[in-house]
Amino acid sequence: MSDVFVINEKAYRAKKILSNVASYAFLTLVAVIILVPFYWMLLTSLKSQLLMEEIPPLLWLKPSQWQLSNYSSLFALVQSGPRAGSPLFPFFTYLRNTVVVSIITTAGTTITTILAAYAFARLNFKGRDVVFAILLGTMMVPGEIFILTNFLTIAKLGLYTWDQTYGQVLIAMTVPFMTSVFYTFYLRQTFKQIPNELYYAAKVDGTSDFGYLLRVMIPVASPTIVTIIILNSMGAWSAYVWPAMVTMKDEYRLVSNGLRGAFTDTGSGRTDFGQQMAAATLVTVPLLILFFTFRKQIMRGVSRSGIKG
Amino acid sequence: METKNNWKAWLYLAPMLLLMSVFTFYPLINAFIISFYKGFRPLQNSIEGFTLLGNYLLILRNPLFWNAMKNTFVIAFISVPVSIFLSLAIAVGLKSIPKLNKFFQTIFFLPYVTNSIAVGMAFAVMFHKNYGLINAILERLGFAGRIDWIGGTSSWWTQMVALLIFTVWESLAFKILVFTSGMQNIDKQYYDAAKIDSASKWTVFRRITVPLLSPIILYISITSMIGALKAYNSVIGLFGIKLGNPSNSMITIVAFVYKYRAELASPGYYSYAAASAIILFIITVVFSLIQGVVSKKRVHY
Amino acid sequence: MDIKMVNLTKIFTSKNRKEVQAVSHVDLTIPSGKLIGLLGPSGCGKSTTLYLIAGLLKQNEGQIFFGDDEVSEMPPEKRGIGLVFQNYALYPHFTVRENILFPLQNLHVPKEEAKTRTYDMAKLVGLEEMLDRKPKELSGGQQQRVAIARALVKKPRVLLLDEPLSNLDARLRLQTREEIKRIQRETGITTVFVTHDQEEAMSISDEIVVMKDGVIQQMGQPQDVYDHPDNLFVAKFLGSPQINVFDSTIEAGKVLIDGMAIGATELPDQKVIIGIRPEGLQVDKTKTSPFKFEIDLVETIGRDTTLIIEVTSEESTLLDKKTFKAIVDAENRIKPKDVIHFVVKPEKMHIFGLDGNRL
Repeated sequence: MSDVFVINEKAYRAKKILSNVASYAFLTLVAVIILVPFYWMLLTSLKSQLLMEEIPPLLWLKPSQWQLSNYSSLFALVQSGPRAGSPLFPFFTYLRNTVVVSIITTAGTTITTILAAYAFARLNFKGRDVVFAILLGTMMVPGEIFILTNFLTIAKLGLYTWDQTYGQVLIAMTVPFMTSVFYTFYLRQTFKQIPNELYYAAKVDGTSDFGYLLRVMIPVASPTIVTIIILNSMGAWSAYVWPAMVTMKDEYRLVSNGLRGAFTDTGSGRTDFGQQMAAATLVTVPLLILFFTFRKQIMRGVSRSGIKG
Repeated sequence: METKNNWKAWLYLAPMLLLMSVFTFYPLINAFIISFYKGFRPLQNSIEGFTLLGNYLLILRNPLFWNAMKNTFVIAFISVPVSIFLSLAIAVGLKSIPKLNKFFQTIFFLPYVTNSIAVGMAFAVMFHKNYGLINAILERLGFAGRIDWIGGTSSWWTQMVALLIFTVWESLAFKILVFTSGMQNIDKQYYDAAKIDSASKWTVFRRITVPLLSPIILYISITSMIGALKAYNSVIGLFGIKLGNPSNSMITIVAFVYKYRAELASPGYYSYAAASAIILFIITVVFSLIQGVVSKKRVHY
Repeated sequence: MDIKMVNLTKIFTSKNRKEVQAVSHVDLTIPSGKLIGLLGPSGCGKSTTLYLIAGLLKQNEGQIFFGDDEVSEMPPEKRGIGLVFQNYALYPHFTVRENILFPLQNLHVPKEEAKTRTYDMAKLVGLEEMLDRKPKELSGGQQQRVAIARALVKKPRVLLLDEPLSNLDARLRLQTREEIKRIQRETGITTVFVTHDQEEAMSISDEIVVMKDGVIQQMGQPQDVYDHPDNLFVAKFLGSPQINVFDSTIEAGKVLIDGMAIGATELPDQKVIIGIRPEGLQVDKTKTSPFKFEIDLVETIGRDTTLIIEVTSEESTLLDKKTFKAIVDAENRIKPKDVIHFVVKPEKMHIFGLDGNRL
């Protein structure tokens, strides 16, 4: 009996090890596929024009072959074409614009979201469920539908003119996006998990509704609010359509449309992949830094949003 | 608290409702109205009359729109099942390993936090005929002739393959994360019971994991289907604003909307944009309704 | 400060628009400085009554007075109450100190005074060493005491406790019970204590109020209520093991169960319901009593022996149950299958009419 057991045990272990090896191999392969585009981006950005044009392409570079000229040339002034006289890719201008837009939008969204989520989670009022259902319904509507009229609204408000100012651009880029039904829904769920008794206790302790929101609800729900702030701030980095639509001047662009614009508008000549990838790297790195700083909050927030719907 | 603080509640809601009335509710209604205009000049704000279905019929007769429909549906119906299957497999793989889960999870999540345009441009370089990584690898593997994937001599097929690969790559991150956390919520005792019943790994996956995960799988299928129907940034990232070779060969419905929207000076074009956006809206509603029906019938524990 | 409720009524409307009177025309005066146990099965309206006193719910009818001061329309924060919740409702992001301090901040008590009062209160509940901890770093009993300190720190006129012990384990429950009693004695504050546990209420309260279906059944000192229940419900609700209840008749001044005379009464002839406390059944060593049964089970715990008698007869006179119990002295050394003659202690026998009210 014990012999049989030992043999089975060995076979079982071998099988276990084998399947572990297979799992690790599969996951490593996927990891490589996920990482390769980033690697290729960085590698290409470091290649000189000469190395770039080598066929078949070089798959790695020795440190001595690294070239930063692609990066510095991004800031050189364009000689001809519609963008003559401005830098090819004024990354730091775009970065500043993106950060400013991101901060304003996020501040606005956080405030409107907290107030609305509080009303939906804690206050009783006529028509609450109807309003909430209507708001949820708007999540199904493709954003393209809103954009058509919103552009006209912005134009009518005189925010889209030839002599558009930075302030006008900021209003146009931020105000339409200062609400989020999704985050309201998400925060309402968190607010609802805070026990009723806490609200009653605060009432007995002499707090007003607003005081309760500020002193109890917000601190207790702060992990969710931080997640919302982080996820929302990242939105400005990938915003492409709207900023492209409402900015008249090149210097007002955000990183995404600045990036695409810089390498589509260049009138003549070959596409310089080195420069393109240098710019793409510059756009990607800050996001990755943000991600690794707040990895836990971001991944938790995104996974919850997926499960709860 | 049961006192009815009606006006107070509306005060809390006011900022959101105010902004949404201007930038969500009004535009939604207005999009329908615009789609019924004849000869609408948005900058002058003038129209030549109304038409009930005129703009819709014009779109439906436009071959470019059908090209956009074809591309959009190909993207949705291929990339969504493929990415769901792959991410399920990856999530199962992640569950089966004893160590390094967090490490792999973090790597797999990277595409979610990057920018479609920037990574799309990197994919464009990877698919380059002469300087790209893909052809270099194919050559190492013994496929001699270099394929022009997305360049001047490329075909619709190669461009679509490149776009699908990029789309799947991009969309894995979210699904892997959601499936992984979904599986963590499955009670471990089911797996222990299956072990005692000496079920094979494949059986466990098919008979336990997938059924217990089915609500999440369905939810993800529908939301990513709707997301895929709105494909745009990835196309712009990979092909630039020319939208492929020849121009517009990779156009999607959303790209079609924006193409006509951009023609502010041409009378009536804005209405085409509105009408096509509404067609997209109707398609998404249909998909959501299908979700409602299917989830009632098929999703079970 | 006594609490007076006049004709207090609270109606809830459920989702299908059915109206339920959770508290029905309650007239009740809670004497000043006493600890009152509000007792009843779940859904009897005891917590609703407490929330009405607190002002967290608003009555449909009736009035509430604290002393001569009518508080019926006052919001909770104006009433001067301290409230302890079943799950304590401590603010999880505040330390113990901040939790106790919070009501004082809302009342804009000067900083120095607030500090002293917080410390004194923490000392009263024995937590002065724990002031800088967060609630989750405390045991259940300690959290409970923080909740009491928070309720008392603003010197409320009345202290309300909503099932405060139900989240504690058995041993801690006994300890905390004593603790609450001590704190109440030391502060002399009028206290209302809601519980569904009759033993808890009896042991802690100066007086108990028994409720059922939103109606007050009886109020009085715990032992009085136990010894003289006004109705069958109160008789059954108090006491463990439960009172034994029999169908019975009165004939010519004799109380008969199944034809066996168990006691005497001056009541006229009629059908009645008889309740006999288990400790009211005593072994008749002379074996002359007609009230005799074969014993089915015997449980001896220390001094007391519980006899369990199964009634097999088809026409059982026993109400609700198949068995009844007697608690006798362990010295009797009774074994299963023994046939025992019982005599009934007259003061442990209660006679109710068929409507359940005491005769």
